[in-house]
Amino acid sequence: MRIEIDEISKQFGVTAALHPVSLAIPSGALVALLGPSGSGKTTLLRILGGLEFPTSGRVLFDGQDATGLTVQDRRAGFVFQSYALFRHMTVFDNIAYGLAARPRASRPPKAEITRRVTKLLELIQLPDIGSRFPSQLSGGQRQRVALARALAIEPRMLLLDEPFGALDAKVRKELRQGLRDIHDETGLTTVFVTHDQEEAMELADLVVVMSMGRIEQIGKPQDIRARPASAFVQSFISA
Amino acid sequence: MFDIAPTFRPVTTETPVARWVLTGLAVAGIAVLVAAPLIAVFAEALAKGIGAAVASLGNRDALSAIKLTLLIAAISVPLNAAFGIAAAWFITKFDFRGKAFLITLIDLPFSVSPVVAGLCIVLMFGANSLAGGWLVAQGYPIVFALPGIVIATMFVTFPFVARELIPVMIEQGRAEEEAALTLGASGWRVFWTVTLPNIRWALLYGVLLCNARAMGEFGAVAVVSGKIRGQTATMPITIEMLYNEYLSVAAFSMAAVLTLLALVTLLLKTALEVRHADALAANHRH
Amino acid sequence: MGRPLIHRSPMPGLGLSMGITLTMLSLVVLLPIGALLLKGATFGIGNIWDTVNRERVWAALFLSFRLSFFAALFNLVFGVILAWVLVRYRFPGRRLLDAAVDLPFALPTAVAGIALTALYAPNGAFGAIAKELGLKIAYTQWGIFIALIFVGLPFVTRTVQPVVEEIEREVEEASATLGASRLYTLRRVVLPMLMPAALTGFALALARAVGEYGSVIFIAGNIPLKTEIAPLLIVIQLEEFNYDGAAAIGIAMLLISFGMLLAINLIQVWSRRRIGYV
Repeated sequence: MRIEIDEISKQFGVTAALHPVSLAIPSGALVALLGPSGSGKTTLLRILGGLEFPTSGRVLFDGQDATGLTVQDRRAGFVFQSYALFRHMTVFDNIAYGLAARPRASRPPKAEITRRVTKLLELIQLPDIGSRFPSQLSGGQRQRVALARALAIEPRMLLLDEPFGALDAKVRKELRQGLRDIHDETGLTTVFVTHDQEEAMELADLVVVMSMGRIEQIGKPQDIRARPASAFVQSFISA
Repeated sequence: MFDIAPTFRPVTTETPVARWVLTGLAVAGIAVLVAAPLIAVFAEALAKGIGAAVASLGNRDALSAIKLTLLIAAISVPLNAAFGIAAAWFITKFDFRGKAFLITLIDLPFSVSPVVAGLCIVLMFGANSLAGGWLVAQGYPIVFALPGIVIATMFVTFPFVARELIPVMIEQGRAEEEAALTLGASGWRVFWTVTLPNIRWALLYGVLLCNARAMGEFGAVAVVSGKIRGQTATMPITIEMLYNEYLSVAAFSMAAVLTLLALVTLLLKTALEVRHADALAANHRH
Repeated sequence: MGRPLIHRSPMPGLGLSMGITLTMLSLVVLLPIGALLLKGATFGIGNIWDTVNRERVWAALFLSFRLSFFAALFNLVFGVILAWVLVRYRFPGRRLLDAAVDLPFALPTAVAGIALTALYAPNGAFGAIAKELGLKIAYTQWGIFIALIFVGLPFVTRTVQPVVEEIEREVEEASATLGASRLYTLRRVVLPMLMPAALTGFALALARAVGEYGSVIFIAGNIPLKTEIAPLLIVIQLEEFNYDGAAAIGIAMLLISFGMLLAINLIQVWSRRRIGYV
C-alpha cells in the first residue's frame, strides 16, 4: 500500500512535536525513520498507526484520505518498542488475539485461526512455543511473537517502533535479517523507527532522517551517505 | 469536567459517556456508602443543638471513657511501633529461614475476627486460666482491667506499623547502613542517623493508622473489658452503652469525637501520600 | 547440605530485633491463639462438633458467610470501577474521593454501626425512603449486608489501584491496533490483568466481613436464626461464662479465616507463576 503524509503537524500543548512534514512512501518499500530522541520520528509513526492524531495535515493510504480512520479500522500491524505482549495470554492466544477480537460476522472459524497462528509461528521460526507465556520467552523471541501478532490481522502495512531497541548486539543482527526476510516474503509496506544509523542504512530501502520535528533528508542509504543534505545529517550519520 | 477533548479521542480511554457514567457511579456510591453515614453522625449529635452535644461529653463517665481511650492508645501504639521497627529490622536486615512464615504470623491478626481475638485473650489471661489465675492471685487482674484492654488493642493493631515499614525497608536495601558501618558507626548510631530518617514518614503513616484503630477498637475490647462504667468502658464501649440506653445525642456526640479523629487521620494520611509519596510503600503512592 | 538457619550478617542488632519480635509476637498473638486452641483440645473435637452442630450456630455461620460473600462481591465490582476512575480520570474532587475511600478503615466500627442504623432505620433518611417503597432495611439481613459492604469497601480499590497505575498504555494500544474495540480491550486485556489483585482484595474484604462485629450488631436486630451473626454468638456464650462453647465457635471461625488466608496466598502464588506478577 502506498502511504502519503501531507503537511502533517503535531502539537503537544505549546511544544511542536512535528512541524508540517510531507513524505511519500511507495508501496512495498522498507522505510527507516532515523533520528535522535525528540526528533518526532515516533510521533510520526504513531500518527500513521492511528495512535495519535495530527494537529493539521492529512494521511493518505493508496490515495484515500485516512486521517480520521480509527486505529481499529486502519489495520496497521504495529510492533511496540516494549512489544506490549499480553502477559496473561499464551503466545498462541497473543497471536490469535486480533482475529478473535473481530465481530462475529467477520471472525474466522476456530480451525482457521489455529491454522493461521501455526503458519505465523512457522514464519517466525518458533513453531513450538505456542503454549508458553511471554514471561517464559527471551527478548528476541518476544520481538518475533510481537511481529507475528501484528501480521496475524493481515495488516495493510507494518509499523515498528525501535524494533531492535531492547536487544543485545548479536540478536539484533539476526533479527534484522529476519525482518528483511519477512518484508520480502509478505511484500508489506514497512516503516520502522530507529536511532541507530547503521541499522537504518543496512536494512532500509529508503531512509528518512529527522531532527527537531522536521525531515532533514529523504533518500536511499548510499545517497544519504554520499550527499548528506545538511550539517546535521552529516554529523548524525558519521556518529 | 475532563481534559479538554481533543478532536480525536485518545486510543486508551473510554467514550465521554462511559467516563461520565463510571465517574458518576463512583461518586454516587461513595456519597451513599461513606459520606451519608458521616453526615448522619454529626446530624444526630447536633439534633438537640450544640449545647446538648457538648454537655453530654462533660459528665464523669464520658470524661473517664475519653481518658481511658487516650491512655490505651498512649500505651499500645508506642509498644506496637517498637515492635514494628524491631520486626522490620529483623526481617529486612537479616536472611533467615522461615521469613515468609514469620510475615504471615505478623499479618495473622488482620484475618482474625476481633471478637475471636478478645476470646483468645480471655482464655489466656482470664481468672480461670493458668496464667490469669496466678496473676489475679498476685493482685494483677488482666481481663476486665486495663492490661487486658491494652493487649486486646495491641492484638488487633499488631501488623500496622510492621507492614508499612517492611516494604519501604526492602526497597531501600542495606547499602546505606553498610556504608555507615564501614565508616565506624555503632549499631545504634546507624539506626538513629541512617535508618530512622529514611523510614520516618512510613513510620508515621503506620503509627497514624495504628492509632486510629487503637482508639476505635470495639469488638475485641467489648469481650475483654467487662464494660464497667467509669472503669473499663472505652469511648466505643460507652457509645454502645449510651446508644442502648436510647441516649442518642450523648452516643452520637461521643461518636462525633471519634469521627473527627478519623477525619484528622485521613487528612494527615492524605498529606503524607501527597508530600512524601517516595518515602512510603509503593501501594500508597497515588 | 542444609542452609544455615540465620545467615551471617555484618548488620548489628540481630539479637535485640529478633528478641523483641519473637517475644511480642508470642505474648500478644501466638500465646492467646494457642490458649484458644488448647481450650479446644481439652474440650474435645466431639464436644466442639456438638456445640457447632446446632441449628442456631449453623444459621449464624451460614448467615455470616453468605452475606459476607455477597458484600465482598459487591465490593469487587464497585472497587474495580472506583480504582479505575480514581487512577484514569481527572475531575474536580478526585483527591477527596480517593481519601473518602479509606474512611471505613479509619472510622471506629461502633460509630459506623450506629450511624448506619440511624440512616437506615425506618425513621432515618434512607430508611424512610425504603419504607415508602415497602422495604425494611435496618434490623433485617439487608442492614447487615449494607454494614458489611461499608467495612469491606476499601480493600478491592486499594489492592487494584496500584495495578491500574502500572498497566502500560502500550498494551492497550496494541490491542486497539489489532482491531479490538475499547470494550473488548477492557474485557480481554485490562480486566484479566486486574483480576489477581481484585481477587486478593475480595478475599481480604470477605475475611474482614466474616469477623465483623461492631458495625453489624447495631443494625442487625440480632434475632436468632434470622439476623444473628457468628461473632455475636461468641459474645453471648462469654456473657453466660460458657468458655467451652465460645471457644468451639471461635475455633470454627478461626479455621475458616485460616482457610481464606491460605486462599489469598494461593491466588498470589498462582498469578505470580502464571504471569510473573501479583
